[in-house]
Amino acid sequence: MSLITAVVRFAQEAPAHAEEAKSNPILPAWNEVIWGAISFTILFVLIAKYAYPAVKKGIDARADKIRSSLDEAERTRDEANTILEDYRRQLADAKNESARIIEEARQSADKLRQDLKKQAEAEVAEIKSRAQEDIAAQVERAMGDLRARVADMTIELTEKVVQRNLDRETNLALIERFIDEAGSAA
Amino acid sequence: MTPVLGALHFPPIEELVEWPGIFLKDTPFEVNKVVLLMWAGAIIVFGLFWAAGRAASSGNLVPTGIQTVVEGGIDFVRNDIILQTMGPAGLPWTPFLVTIFFYVFITNIFEVIPFVQFPVNARMALPLFMSLLVWVIFNYMGVKAQGFGGYFKSMLLPPGVPKALLPLVALIEFISTIFVRPFSMAVRLFANMLAGHLLLVTFAVLSAALFTKSALAVILPLPFAMLILLTGFEILVAILQAFIFTILTAVYIGGAMHPEH
Repeated sequence: MSLITAVVRFAQEAPAHAEEAKSNPILPAWNEVIWGAISFTILFVLIAKYAYPAVKKGIDARADKIRSSLDEAERTRDEANTILEDYRRQLADAKNESARIIEEARQSADKLRQDLKKQAEAEVAEIKSRAQEDIAAQVERAMGDLRARVADMTIELTEKVVQRNLDRETNLALIERFIDEAGSAA
Repeated sequence: MTPVLGALHFPPIEELVEWPGIFLKDTPFEVNKVVLLMWAGAIIVFGLFWAAGRAASSGNLVPTGIQTVVEGGIDFVRNDIILQTMGPAGLPWTPFLVTIFFYVFITNIFEVIPFVQFPVNARMALPLFMSLLVWVIFNYMGVKAQGFGGYFKSMLLPPGVPKALLPLVALIEFISTIFVRPFSMAVRLFANMLAGHLLLVTFAVLSAALFTKSALAVILPLPFAMLILLTGFEILVAILQAFIFTILTAVYIGGAMHPEH
């Protein structure tokens, strides 16, 4: 029997069974309505009172966790950016500082070199001046000694001339001898 | 009639949808296969929620398995049904609408579960009870939100209707809201599931009758393929009808609470 035949048969037979409401497949069976109502009501109460709040709590906890994680990530990123800016600034400061230190060192070295040069030149000048003074003093002393020797020899010669009245040849011989002595003495 | 066609016996509809009592026979609390499936559906739905709630309570913030299914269902009801039709004011109705969605779906999907193969909602009982419950709730919420006069005024006298048509429109709106709504909700679910069940039975009976050694067996793949396709189709229908019943509930309750929407 096909489905259509079955439907037609059902339609034809329905009036015959009109008094038997239970046999009509379209009308609700009261036992099923009662159990359906009980089942649905108990299920709804259990879900609304126990199961749904627990699931909802989990969903909310996850939402909170995601929200707080996003906030924390945002905060961490801000902190990282701040630290990065600090490092960049410190790096720039360090570069400037090192350039300044190098410049200062260069200036100090220049100054030191200039100072040392001046000092060396002053020392050289002083040594030279002292040496010249020493030489002058030595010359002066030698001249003094020479002058005293010449005077002594002149006196000695004069004494010899005065003690002996000599002729011309003798005087010349005396003078020649004196000069030789003076030369050998010198 | 050939022996094969002679074996093709399509049972009467009563045989397909009316089940004999198992216990408490001939009492208002008679238990049959439909009632057992109502219990099983309630136990399965509560079991799913209980398992998901336990997983969530144990601090499992990354859902897996059942927790994913349940939370996905809740998200769907919340975001695609409640927020779309009722707005944020409808969120307190989430447990009720989630219960309807899951219970209707599970009792529908019994249609394609092997050895069960019967949708509870192919019987009028559960759709009728739920639609009457929704009827009571949306009327109660309408009266509560707008007052008795205000509710009936907003229901019967929609704005922008010419005065001459108001009596007719009011009559139509009254019949539509008070009588047709619960009836249409119940019949839509019931008729869809009954029709699906009859279709599956038809092709199953046909396939069984052709499962012979006769020459007619060569056309067996046709009804059998149809049976497989219809089984997949019925899964979609089970989901779709659960969605429709739930969204209509949300629309009716939301409309009664906020008629301006």
